[in-house]
Amino acid sequence: MAILEASNIHKRFGGTEVLKGVSFSLERGKSLALIGSSGSGKTTLLRCLNFLEQPDGGTISVNSEVLFDAADPSTHTESGVRKKRLHFGLVFQQFNLFPQYTALGNVTLAPELLARDEPGYASDKARILARIREEARGILAQVGLADKMDSYPHELSGGQQQRVAIARALAMKPDILCFDEPTSALDPELSGEVLAAIRRLSERNITMVIATHEMGFAREVASQVIFLSDGAILESGPPEQVLANPQTERLRSFLNAVL
Amino acid sequence: MGAGLADVTINLIEGFKLNCIVFGVTLLFSLPLGLGLALCSMSRYRAVRVVSKTFVWIVRGTPLLLQIIVVFFVPGLLLNVSPPERMDAAVIAFVINYTAYFSEVYRGGIESIPKGQYEAGQVLGMTKSQIFFKVILLQVVKRIIPPMSNEIITLVKDTALMRVIANKEIIMFAQQYISGQAIIWPLFYSGVFFLLFCGVLTLLFGAAERRLGYFRA
Repeated sequence: MAILEASNIHKRFGGTEVLKGVSFSLERGKSLALIGSSGSGKTTLLRCLNFLEQPDGGTISVNSEVLFDAADPSTHTESGVRKKRLHFGLVFQQFNLFPQYTALGNVTLAPELLARDEPGYASDKARILARIREEARGILAQVGLADKMDSYPHELSGGQQQRVAIARALAMKPDILCFDEPTSALDPELSGEVLAAIRRLSERNITMVIATHEMGFAREVASQVIFLSDGAILESGPPEQVLANPQTERLRSFLNAVL
Repeated sequence: MGAGLADVTINLIEGFKLNCIVFGVTLLFSLPLGLGLALCSMSRYRAVRVVSKTFVWIVRGTPLLLQIIVVFFVPGLLLNVSPPERMDAAVIAFVINYTAYFSEVYRGGIESIPKGQYEAGQVLGMTKSQIFFKVILLQVVKRIIPPMSNEIITLVKDTALMRVIANKEIIMFAQQYISGQAIIWPLFYSGVFFLLFCGVLTLLFGAAERRLGYFRA
């Protein structure tokens, strides 16, 4: 049973069609790797899933619930979109941590704000906040930052910042966690620790969609690989098939270029 | 009127009180109003943007001296009502003027925050106002302290302009020594009051910058 189904996603910016009808589905607990050269539409696809861009066509469903249907404006409302976003998490290429909060503060901020909507928040505030902090500490420890909870982003290395960003996304307990080239802004020696953190998530069966240029990592973590080219899916399938046995000249030359 | 240092000092302090009042009240109103105006000039509605940008253009494009005179005289000329109190007129003119200037400082600060900060808040399910108040605002404050200190220090000295509608501020007091007793040094001495006041402000802004030095934005 698919947890995520994206169907016929179209997106254009001005005269440029960036996504030309992308469809895929993803099983719960599996990971999907999006590969393709810059400008192929990977980032736009992730941004559509996270409602940072509104697709011009297509539908997005999670757990068989249609979250977005381009043809149905009632699925586009601002307040509705905010709730639907919570099905997804997004880790950005540039981390985008909040500089004025500590690592722990970055992780607890959104859960604390969300908890205000809970019934009984006022009467149980202290306990709820303590629980959120406890969970956040646990998540930061999982990504190997138990000793960096009180550091501010500028005091952390790029790899540590990105792991805080992963912890921040995890704290919202999304159904599907998306990564937009999570190691592209990092020095090679720092990407290893971030990739290791993501690998551990896949072992815990967190459902993930990962745009990446790290083919070895994609092969290892993903159960499914999609090769995007010019906004369309050119090849898809299990990594051993797509990466080891490319069917198209485009994918062959792409793999030759990145490996 | 005695012209000894003590007498002059007491007199000038009397005048400088007015400068301080206008300074304080202007800040009290212009700082929040400026933020509101900045948000208007970045509104998604074109009409709102046009109105606020036109307002900023007019206020920044005409002398503050003239604006004080306009606020004092124009209500009477147009509506045939009695003119506002001299101090009220001065305060209103300063609030209008500095709201416009502050709004541009705020706007520059807000627009300098990377889009990724908003998007990070969005994907975490925060509302627009939560993103603004919990994520963006403090970063803006940190970035605008230097330009804001410039404007606020300018405001201290601009308060002297209110004597154009006969508010008895410090320089007006000092000038009375010239016209009344042909002594000029109290006028130069009045500069010391501004200098000290701005010195204190400079220290405060330095402290504020250090206070927000714990993060980089």
